[in-house]
Amino acid sequence: MKTKIMNYFKNLIQSIRNKFNDPVVNMRRSRKIQAFAMASVRTILLAGLCFVILFPTIQQILQALRAPQDVNNPAVIWIPETWSVMNIKIAAMVLDYKAALFNTAKLSFISMFLQIASTALAGYAFSRLKFKGSNILFILVILTIIVPPQALSLAQYFYFRDFRIGFLEWFGIDTRLLGKEGAIYLMSGLGMGIRSGIFIYIFRSFFKGLPKELEESAIIDGASVFRTFWSVMLPNARGALVTVGLFAFVWQWNDAYYVKIFEVSTAEFPLLTMRLLNAAEGMYASLFYTGALNLIGQDVWANPVFLSLISNVSALLMMLPLLIMYLFVQKSFVESIERTGIVG
Amino acid sequence: MKKNKMTTTPIEKQENRKKYLVSYKKEKLIMSIVFLLPWLFGLAFLFVIPLFRSFRYSFFNLTPQSGQILEEFIGFDNYLYAINTHVTTTSSFKVELLTTTFDVAINLPVLLIFSLFIAVMLNMKFKGRAIVRAIFFVPVILNSAAVATALGSGDAINAILEQSGIGTIFDLEFYLLQTGMAPFLITFITGLIDRIYDILALAGVPILLFLASIQSIPKHLYEAAKIEGATGYEMFWLITLPNVTPHIITVTVFALVDTFLTSPVSRIISDELNVQHWGLSSAMAWIYVGTIVVLLLIIGGIAKLLKIGESHYEN
Repeated sequence: MKTKIMNYFKNLIQSIRNKFNDPVVNMRRSRKIQAFAMASVRTILLAGLCFVILFPTIQQILQALRAPQDVNNPAVIWIPETWSVMNIKIAAMVLDYKAALFNTAKLSFISMFLQIASTALAGYAFSRLKFKGSNILFILVILTIIVPPQALSLAQYFYFRDFRIGFLEWFGIDTRLLGKEGAIYLMSGLGMGIRSGIFIYIFRSFFKGLPKELEESAIIDGASVFRTFWSVMLPNARGALVTVGLFAFVWQWNDAYYVKIFEVSTAEFPLLTMRLLNAAEGMYASLFYTGALNLIGQDVWANPVFLSLISNVSALLMMLPLLIMYLFVQKSFVESIERTGIVG
Repeated sequence: MKKNKMTTTPIEKQENRKKYLVSYKKEKLIMSIVFLLPWLFGLAFLFVIPLFRSFRYSFFNLTPQSGQILEEFIGFDNYLYAINTHVTTTSSFKVELLTTTFDVAINLPVLLIFSLFIAVMLNMKFKGRAIVRAIFFVPVILNSAAVATALGSGDAINAILEQSGIGTIFDLEFYLLQTGMAPFLITFITGLIDRIYDILALAGVPILLFLASIQSIPKHLYEAAKIEGATGYEMFWLITLPNVTPHIITVTVFALVDTFLTSPVSRIISDELNVQHWGLSSAMAWIYVGTIVVLLLIIGGIAKLLKIGESHYEN
C-alpha cells in the first residue's frame, strides 16, 4: 500500500520534472509568461497614463456640475452635494459664450481651410514639382519653423496697420486689417499662419511617400499637372489632410498670441481665448460687469475658491467643443496615422 | 485617319513622346511656381521683410509718438540690456533662457525615449487600442496657453483639497530619501512625475511622428525575424530602433522648437512687446533664435558623430 502511494508520487514528480526538462514545452511556457508579463505591464502603464490624462477633465466636469453654495461646504470634494448647472451659466455669461463660440468656430474653420490650401500646394510643389533651387527654398521653410512669432509680429503689426486697398476704399468699403479677422485669414492663406512651416513639412513628406506610378499613370492618361494633383494625389493624401486639418483647427482655436497682437478680439467680435484670459486675470471684475454676481449670494462670491472655480469652469467651456469635435474625428485621425507617411 | 496612323514611324513616335515630355516638364516648372505663389508672397511680405526689419529694430530704441515712431540708434545696447540688466517681477530673461536651455538638454532625451516607448506600446495589438490612442492625443488638443492661465491663476482643485485638509496622500520624495538615493536624482524624478501631464502634452506630436515612422517599417522584416525565433525585445533593438532613428532628428527639432515656444522666455518676449519695448523684444527674439540655432547645430553635430539619421540599410 505504502509503496504504491510512494510510487504514484514518484511517477507524478517524474512526469512534472519531465515536463520542465522538455525544451519545447519550456520554450512555449517562457513565451507565454513573457507575453503575459508584457501585457500586464502594458495595461497597467497605459491605464495609468490614460487616467492621468483624463483625470483633470473629469474633475473639472464634476466641479462644473456642483451648486455654487457647495464652495462653502468643506465636505464636498469630488462628488457634488447638490447638482446644478449654475456654475456653467455664470461661466457662460463671463465668456459671452454664444457669440464667442460662434466667432471662434468661424475663425478656426476658415483659417483651417486656408492653411490646408496654402500648405498643401506648397508641400506638393516641394515634393513633386522640384526645380533648381527648391531645396534652398525648403531651408527657408525650416527657418519659418524655427523663428519665433515674436521676432516677426511687430513688423507684421505695422503692415496690417497701414494696409489699405486703395480702390475699394474709394467705394467706402473698409479694408483695414488690424483689429479684423482678415489679418488671421491673410496669414493663413499665405502660408505664414500658426506653424504653417510644420504643415508644409508634413505635406511634403506625405506626397514624397506616395508611389511614383500614380503620377506616371496620370501623365500617360494625359492629365495636366493640376489635374494630377487634384484628382490623383490629393485624394490619396487623406491622412495628411486630416492630421493637418485637425492641428490647424485646434491651434487656431487655442491661439491667444496672434489674436492679441492683431487685436482681433473686440467687444463686437469676442473670441473665447481672449475672453477667458481677461476673465482669469480679473475674475471678480468680469463677474461684476456681466451681472453674474446678482445670481449668487455674497457668502459665495466672497470666497476666493469660488472665483477660481468659475475660471476653471470657463476653461472647461472653452475646451468642451474641441473635445466633442475630437470624439467625432478621432477615428479617422487615428486611422490617418495608420496609413503611414507623415514621416517620409 | 488610317493613312496618318500608318505614316508615323517609330522614330517619329519617340520624338512626339519627347516633345510631350519636354512640354510636360515646362508645365511642371510653371505649375510649381503657381503652387508656391501664395507661400512665396507670404514668405516675402510676412517673413523675410519683417525678419530684416526686426533685426534692424533690435539696434534701435523705438518710442511711439503720435502716429509715428521715433528711432534712435543705440548699437548693441538692447542685447546687452536683455542679457545683463533685464528683470521681471519673479525672474529675468537671462535666468529663464539658461533654465530653458538646460531643460532642453535634460528633458529632450527623456521626452524622446518616453515618446518612442509609448509609440512602440501603442503600436502593439491589444484590446481597446483605438480608444487608448485617441486618449493619448487629448493633451495635444487641450494644450492651450489661455486654459493654462485660467487654471493656474487660482488652482481650484488644490485650493479645495487644501481646504479639506488633504495634502499629498503618497509622499514619493520622502520614500526615495529613505532609500538613500542621491538628492539631485530624487528632485529630477519627482520633478518628472510632477510634470507628467506637461510631458504627455509635449509628447503628443512626437508620439504621433514615431507611430507613423514605426508603421512605415516593412512588415516582412518582423515576419522574417519571428520565423528565425527572435523575441520581441530583440526585434525592438534590431528592427524597430534602427528604422526609427532617421526620424529622430525630425522629432528632436520639433520638440526643441515646441519647448522654446511654450517656455517662459517666449512669454517674456511677448510681454516686452506688449508694453511697447519694441527694440528690446526684437533683440530678445534674436537672442532666442540664436540659441535655438546653436542648439540645433550641436544636435546636428551629435547626430553626425553617432550616425543618427542615416538610413540603416544604405551601407
